Amino acid sequence: MPSASDIVYYLFHAQELRSIIQWKVWHNPVHERDPSKESPTLQQCFVFLDLTSRSFSSVIQELHPELLVPVCIFYLILRGLDTIEDDMTIKLEKKEPLLRDFHNFLEKDGWSFDGNGPDEKDRQLLVDFDCVVQEFKKIKESYKVILKDITVKMGNGMADYAKSAEKSVDVVNTIADYEKYCHYVAGVVGEGLTRLFVESGLANAGLLERPDLSEAMGQFLQQTNVIRDIREDFDEKRKFYPKEVWSKHVNKFEDLFKPENKEAALNCSSEMVLLALRKAPDCLFYLAGIRDQSVFNFAAIPQTMAIATLDLVFRNPDLFKRNIKITRGHACQIMTESTQNLQMVCEIFRRYARRIHKKNTPRDPNFLEISIACGKIEKFVESIFPSQHPKAIVVGSAAAGKSPEQVEKEKAEWQEAKWDVIYMGLAVFTTLALISALMLGIAFMMGARFDIALDQLKQGKFKPPAADSGERQNILSSYGQHEEL
Amino acid sequence: MDKPISILITGVGFVAGHIIDALQARHPDWNLSVFDVKSSDSWRDSGIPYFQADITNLDETVEAFEKARPTIVIHTAGWVPGQGARYARRDLGTVTKINVDGTRNALQAAKATGVKAFVFTSSCCIVTDDMKHEYPNMDESLPTGLATLIYGYSKGLAEPYVLAANGEEMLTCAIRPSVILGPHSRLGPGDYQLVPQIHACIAKYETPFIIGSGENLYDFTFVTNVADAHVLAIENLLSTKTAAGEAFFISNQEPVPFRDFMLAIWREFDHVPPFEVRIPESLAWLAGLIAEWATWITGMSSMATLSRGSVQDATGTRYASGDKARRILGYYPRIGLQEGIRISCLVGYT
Repeated sequence: MPSASDIVYYLFHAQELRSIIQWKVWHNPVHERDPSKESPTLQQCFVFLDLTSRSFSSVIQELHPELLVPVCIFYLILRGLDTIEDDMTIKLEKKEPLLRDFHNFLEKDGWSFDGNGPDEKDRQLLVDFDCVVQEFKKIKESYKVILKDITVKMGNGMADYAKSAEKSVDVVNTIADYEKYCHYVAGVVGEGLTRLFVESGLANAGLLERPDLSEAMGQFLQQTNVIRDIREDFDEKRKFYPKEVWSKHVNKFEDLFKPENKEAALNCSSEMVLLALRKAPDCLFYLAGIRDQSVFNFAAIPQTMAIATLDLVFRNPDLFKRNIKITRGHACQIMTESTQNLQMVCEIFRRYARRIHKKNTPRDPNFLEISIACGKIEKFVESIFPSQHPKAIVVGSAAAGKSPEQVEKEKAEWQEAKWDVIYMGLAVFTTLALISALMLGIAFMMGARFDIALDQLKQGKFKPPAADSGERQNILSSYGQHEEL
Repeated sequence: MDKPISILITGVGFVAGHIIDALQARHPDWNLSVFDVKSSDSWRDSGIPYFQADITNLDETVEAFEKARPTIVIHTAGWVPGQGARYARRDLGTVTKINVDGTRNALQAAKATGVKAFVFTSSCCIVTDDMKHEYPNMDESLPTGLATLIYGYSKGLAEPYVLAANGEEMLTCAIRPSVILGPHSRLGPGDYQLVPQIHACIAKYETPFIIGSGENLYDFTFVTNVADAHVLAIENLLSTKTAAGEAFFISNQEPVPFRDFMLAIWREFDHVPPFEVRIPESLAWLAGLIAEWATWITGMSSMATLSRGSVQDATGTRYASGDKARRILGYYPRIGLQEGIRISCLVGYT
């Protein structure tokens, strides 16, 4: 049920309400899962998918049947790992081996874990993890290898992170640390998904040769999440903004949230946005390698949401005050657009890059770099979807690219047109001259003295003589005999 | 090549000075000599032989080439019309004489003296001086010869001669840099057009005015990157020869709106426009037309800041893809645009 404030909001944002209705009514899933043919354990897996993910659940459930179950299981495994890593009530001595051995539990019948704190929101998934194990065992061997491999990498990455977090407060010191963190949380997932897509034949195998592209996909999403969640993370005593970045703008991390440092905080967040924006062209490049519509939707929606989020947080002081999010209506609009084709997605990227560019200010130390990052997005889109074809320029310009006969014909036409204009001009002038001659002739016949008028003009007297009779007398007397006139 | 490599650089302008710096840094064993119409004392102590001759005079050119005996020629000599003259046609004679006849003379002299490689400093204006089209992400397959401004027109006449001269005896290629910025080189002059003019807008209170959308992307190149491209072209013609007979767009591959480029320069001088006024393109065009008449009547047309040409220049989209230079020459801009602007603005302007 929508809340009263929602109703008021959408009353004044009819466009967004339209987007929501459009998405709900007109969006046709590419594929639909058929629960009647699913085992009870698989159905339970989908229930957990719904419970643990609001944003990914629907796109996963529309995936190509070949990938539907592997991706769902993949997601639940990662969610399981995450639930262990996030839980501060689990001691490091217990947490570390759990994370590092997680891949072994995947094939251990009936494995489950109830050691999470009672407040951990996804603890039930681990309590009933045996259903995931059951389904994991049923998927294709080639997919299993990939899922296990990624679980090993991710588990170890998380364990390393948990270990260093125990020791020091500032885990993310350099930008390299930050990208490493994002690599473990999202880059590795991107790698796993890419391998699944290629293995199933739904994406271009070339993507495997460009691991930097799937890495960019993960980095772009995760960095955007980190930027957006700064307030929430700070309230929960976590910080992921690298010290290398924030220390350029404020002395202490806490200072970012003080109203007197508003400008410095905005400059800090825009430097973070810059780091993320630089990944955007590679994300589009990656999306160009996907062959299946459902996989494309699955991969594209989070990316377009991310660039819209970057626009939302860019130079927005609310970022440091509360948790900000794109509105539901806005999200529906982006989802409708993102589920079409690559050109549409490129259009969305270009649109948000321009909006970010509009808010960019020369007072920001990274002004030009941000402008360059936005320019590179535009340039990339232009490179895959040129706004004009070189041939159009040739055809549009005079002699280039035309046969000699065409040129001759055009020349003749042009000549004809030129004479038309000349004849028309002549006709107009002749008519005017005739009328003028007629009028002058009539005036002369009626006794107009042109000779006097001309003489007066010669003397520089352009105005008719004043009513003063003396002067008139002078003029007339200069013409002697014609006094009686 | 059996003979030691000896390079003759025609013209001792802004770019040529940096090419010399780059060549001396990367190939200290190569012999260099220069050629220019001006006599220049600053070159006397440089240790680089200086030949004074007029490129528009074939006999003088051949004579100088015979004295220099180069194995490679880098032909940078050319004439770039200044601000007002860029959009006018009155210097058409001068520009074609120097840029077209001069290039033909240089080619002929090079052939006569057995030069093995000839690198021509062309310009992206060969394409972008066409005010009728937009050129986003342009590549080298685009037609030349559509330029409506005299500079691009003259380069469009000259470059085909260079590329057509490519053959067994002499390899040729053309480098087409975009708008160039940078400080002066060790021996050559600096940039007296781009950055100084943009800097001058501060004193004239012109900085708040934006013509058009201010979103149109433009290519810029830091001068040492242009020099690198020339060195890479020579290295290519001496080794794989894949660049022979080809033209290359060279830029920093960081297209930004022209407006942002100016803002970035003003910021280096601690100036941020206090407010912004957007002037629609059509209105600016009209203002340009009126300004042209006004300056024509008052006889000050060489001083005009505003003209229809400069409005179209300011609102057009002009940037190159840069793929071909990357693929064939292995060109990569070593100095980024932000760093390039910082260095260029270290030179004090008053």
